[in-house]
Amino acid sequence: MTMMTLLTLVLCIGILVSALLATYLKSVVAAVVSAGLVGLFASVTYVILSAPDVAMTEAAIGAGITTVVFLFALSKTRGAYDE
Amino acid sequence: MAESILNLAVVLIMIAIALGVYRLVKGPSVVDRAIALDLLTLVSIALIALIALLTSRFIYIDVALVYGLLSFLSVLAVARYLDRGL
Repeated sequence: MTMMTLLTLVLCIGILVSALLATYLKSVVAAVVSAGLVGLFASVTYVILSAPDVAMTEAAIGAGITTVVFLFALSKTRGAYDE
Repeated sequence: MAESILNLAVVLIMIAIALGVYRLVKGPSVVDRAIALDLLTLVSIALIALIALLTSRFIYIDVALVYGLLSFLSVLAVARYLDRGL
């Protein structure tokens, strides 16, 4: 089971790096992509923590819908933010 | 034998995640980061299937299935936004 511990560590580092990038990136679209990656890594981490229903919801909403909604709102307010 | 092969596959997938995160951090343009998102999505689907095989709980395959059905949507939205707006 030490392999799963190492895998969890790698995924949590991925969550941390993606969240920091979503905070620090200048481009708005790149920040939205990084925020979607947080949901992706969190979904895999939920599978490792043996919660497949939470992982399925996170995959559907956190990684799938949130990026689309953010980009849709950004497209509606195009010109208000420099890209 | 099969256990060691699966562990080797987990190590290879961890290397792939590290390379994708490197491209996400380093990538100069938005397109590089969108490609990194696509790559990490694919690697995550493979990783979920591998975890289902390692822990012998095949309900986890459903998570990979839902993820594979829905994950192309975000990459498609990013590509469409970069083209002409959503």
